[in-house]
Amino acid sequence: MKRVQLEIVLGTILVLLSSAIVIILGVQEPQRLADYEVQQRAQLIEYGASVFVTNCTRCHGSQAQGITGVAPSLRDEAFFTKRLGEVGWGGSLEDYIVSVVTTGRQISTRPQLYTGATGTSPVMPTWSEKFGGPLRDDQIRAVAAFIMNFEPYALGQVATLEPLAPLADESTPEGRGQAVFLQAGCGACHTISGISSGNIGPVLDGLVSRAGSRVSGLTADEYIRQSIMEPSAYVVEGFSDGIMPPNFAEVLSEDQINDLVAFLLTLQ
Amino acid sequence: MLNALRRRLNIPPRDQWRATIAKIIDDRVRIITAGLSIRELRAVMRGDPPTEKPNPRYKVITTSFIAHLRPRYYPQASTWFTHTYRLGFFTTFLFIVEVITGVVLMVYYIPFPDQAYESIKVIESNVFFGELLRDLHRLGAEGMVIFSWLHLLRTYFTGSYKGPRTFTWLTGVFLLLITAWLSFTGYLLPWDQLAYWAVTVGTSITDSGPVVGPALNLLMRGAPDIGTGGLLRFYLQHVILFPLLAIAFISIHYYKVSREHSISLPAVVEETERTPEQKKEDNRRIDLIPDLLSHEVFLVSLGIFIMLVILYFRMFHSPLETHANPQATPLDTKAPWYFWWLQGLLKIDPASIIENLANPILGIVGIKLELSKLLNSKFIMGLIVPPTLIIILMAIPYIDRNPSRLARKRPFAIMWGIAWVFIVIALSFMGTPQFGIETPPATRIIQDLAPEEGEGALRAIPYDELVQGIYVVGQDYGPDLCPTLHYQPNPEADVDNVVVGCPHLTAVFNEFSEKLLKAEEEDLLPDLNAKITVEQFQWNLITVTPLVEWTDPETGKTKTYFHTYFLHQDRPTQP
Repeated sequence: MKRVQLEIVLGTILVLLSSAIVIILGVQEPQRLADYEVQQRAQLIEYGASVFVTNCTRCHGSQAQGITGVAPSLRDEAFFTKRLGEVGWGGSLEDYIVSVVTTGRQISTRPQLYTGATGTSPVMPTWSEKFGGPLRDDQIRAVAAFIMNFEPYALGQVATLEPLAPLADESTPEGRGQAVFLQAGCGACHTISGISSGNIGPVLDGLVSRAGSRVSGLTADEYIRQSIMEPSAYVVEGFSDGIMPPNFAEVLSEDQINDLVAFLLTLQ
Repeated sequence: MLNALRRRLNIPPRDQWRATIAKIIDDRVRIITAGLSIRELRAVMRGDPPTEKPNPRYKVITTSFIAHLRPRYYPQASTWFTHTYRLGFFTTFLFIVEVITGVVLMVYYIPFPDQAYESIKVIESNVFFGELLRDLHRLGAEGMVIFSWLHLLRTYFTGSYKGPRTFTWLTGVFLLLITAWLSFTGYLLPWDQLAYWAVTVGTSITDSGPVVGPALNLLMRGAPDIGTGGLLRFYLQHVILFPLLAIAFISIHYYKVSREHSISLPAVVEETERTPEQKKEDNRRIDLIPDLLSHEVFLVSLGIFIMLVILYFRMFHSPLETHANPQATPLDTKAPWYFWWLQGLLKIDPASIIENLANPILGIVGIKLELSKLLNSKFIMGLIVPPTLIIILMAIPYIDRNPSRLARKRPFAIMWGIAWVFIVIALSFMGTPQFGIETPPATRIIQDLAPEEGEGALRAIPYDELVQGIYVVGQDYGPDLCPTLHYQPNPEADVDNVVVGCPHLTAVFNEFSEKLLKAEEEDLLPDLNAKITVEQFQWNLITVTPLVEWTDPETGKTKTYFHTYFLHQDRPTQP
C-alpha cells in the first residue's frame, strides 16, 4: 500500500473512532447535564451553609432555629407554608429570601415577636454589596439555596435532625441549662467541645478555671451571670464589645439563667 | 418537431449522452478542486503519478487561494519525522482548535463579573457538549503552550534558527509570547478564585516597576483591583487583539517557510558527505498534492482523536473553583503551571544573596552592604530578568555566529540549551506554592487534607461514611472508626457491593493524627489537643470540622485553628 493510501485509510479509521467517541459522549450528555445540575445545587447549598454560619447565626441561631425575641426561625413549617401569604409576596420563597437578604429590613414586620439583634433600626441589615453590605449576589443566592434546603425537614418529609450532643437530662439544673444553651443560640458563637462549634465568641471549654479570676471581687458564678446579663461589663481580651446580644436578661427567664449558669459551671 | 426542440435545448444525440454527462461532472470537479479532473483526483487519492501533462496538481497551487499559501513541494530530507516532529504543525492545529471552540464559547460567555462565573456554570450544566467544548479549549490552550515551547527547542537544537531563518526565529519568539499572553488572558475569564488570584498576582509584578509601573498595572487591571474594567480588558485582548496578532505573526512566520527558505534540511544532509544515491533521495520532491496534504489530514485526525481520548477518559478536566472573592486570598495562590518558572524566579532575592555572599568578606573592612533598600527583588526578578531573557532568546541567531548546524560542531550551544531546560524545570519547581513558603503547621496539615480550593481527601469521603461523632486525636479507636457501619456505595448499579465501616473517614483521620502527632514530637505543636467533629447540619448536609489546639511555643498562649467543611449528599464524588 502506498503511503498516501495508508494515511487516508488510517485517517478515516481515526475519524470514525473520533465520531464514535463524540456519539458516546452525546448519548451520555443529557444524563451528565442532569447530574451536573444536581451537583451544582449541592455545592451551592454547601457554600450557602458556610456563608450562613459566618454571617447569619448571630441572629437566626446556629442552625437557623431562630433566637427568641431576636429573629425568627428559618426552618419551621410556618416559614415554608405561611410566610409568603403573610407578606403578600407573589414570587417564589427562594426569591423572597434573596430579596429580604439583599435589602435587609428597616423595620420589623412582627415587632412584638422579633426586634432584631440590637433592637434598633434596621432590624436586619442590608447584606448585598450593592447597598453597602458585605455579600455578593452569588453568596446571597447560595444562602437562599441553603435555607430552601430546610424545606423537606420543615414539612416533616424527612427524619428530624439527630442532635450530636447527648440529649440533655431535663431533671437536673445542669441538664436543663444545656438545653437553654442550645435553644438560646449560645452555641452559634461559643464552642463547647461535643456540644457546639461557634467561632465568634470565646471558647467555653474549661470556663470554670478562668471565670473566678477574671474580675476581682466576682466569683465564677457571679462572673458568668454578669457576662450573660450584661455582656459589656467585661469583654475578654481579643474580642470586641457589642457583638453579644445584650438582651438575654429579658429573653430568658430567671430560672433559665440559673440553669444555664449551673450548666456552664460544669465546664471544668 | 422533437428534433427541433432537441437542437434548441442543446441536447446531444442519444449515443453521446454518456460522454456529455461525464464531461459535465468532470467540469464541476475541476471547478471544485481548482484544476483536477475526476481521473486526476482518483490518481491523487491512490498516490499514483499525474495523469496529464503539464502536471495539473501544480495548477491547483496557482488557482486556489488556500493552496497558493502552501509550498509546491518540500525536499524529502526536510520532512523527516525525527527532524521536525511536526511540532509547528501541531501548534497551528491547536490554534485552529482554539479559534473554533473559542467562537462557540463566546456565544455563551458573559464578560461581566456578576455573570461571568454563572455563565461558565451554564456552559457546563446547560449547553449540550458545553463541558466538552470548554475542556477542548483549555486542553488546546495548554497543548499549544507545550507545542510552541517544544517547537522552539527543536529549532534550537537542530540549529535551524541560523541564516537565512534568523527573522523567522524572531517571529517565532513573538508567537511564543503571544501564545503565553493568550493563555494568561484566558485564565481570568472563568472568574473563579483560581483565575482571579493568579491574574492578581501576575499583574502585581508590573506594580513594582519604576515610573510607569503603577500606571501600567492600572492600565491592565482597569482599576486598582481587577473588576468590571479589568475583566473586559482581558476579554477583549483574549478574543480580538491577540488572536489577530497571532494570525498576523503566524502568517509571516509561515510565509517565510513556504515561500522564502522552506523547512531547514537536517544538518547531516547539509553538512556531511552524502552518497549520490542519498543525495538523490534527499532532494526527491515531496509534493503538496497528494503527499503533504494526505499526511496533514492524517495528522489532524490523529490530533482530534488524541484530544478526544484524553477527554473521554477524564485524563484532563478544566477546573472551576468557587466564585472569585477579592476579600479572601486562598492559601496556595498559584500561577498557571507554564508560568511557575516565573513565580520561582520571583522567590529569588538577589539583594540578600549578594549581601550574604559579600558581607562576611566586607565585614573584615567594617563595611556592611544593605542592598535590599536599593534593589527591589520583585522589580529585578519580575521586570528586569524576564524581558532580558526574552531579548536574549530573540537575539540567539545574532549571538551565535557559529556557521555550523551539526550538533557535534556546536557543543556549547547544545550544552546551553540543555542547561536552560534544566534551569526552567528547577525554577518551575521553586515556583510551586509549597516551595519556600512557611505555613503554620496546623494550617498546613488541615489545608493538605482539604485544600481551600479543589477536592482533597477530606471532601472525597463518601457521604455515607460521615458518621456523626467527635474523633479525638490520640485516642485508640481500633482499625476502623465506625466498625458497625454497613453501606452500599452504589445501590442502583451494584446491590452486592457493601462496604463495612468507614475506610475513607478512617484514612483521613489517621493521616490527620499521624501528621499532628509528628508535629507535636517535633515541638511545633506542644500540648496538642485535636479532633475531627462530624455533625449533621441539615437533613442532607453534614459538617466536618478538624480542630487543632496547641500552646504557642513563643508566647505560651493557647492557640486554636479549625475549619468547618460542609458536605452535601449530592456533592460530586470523584473516583
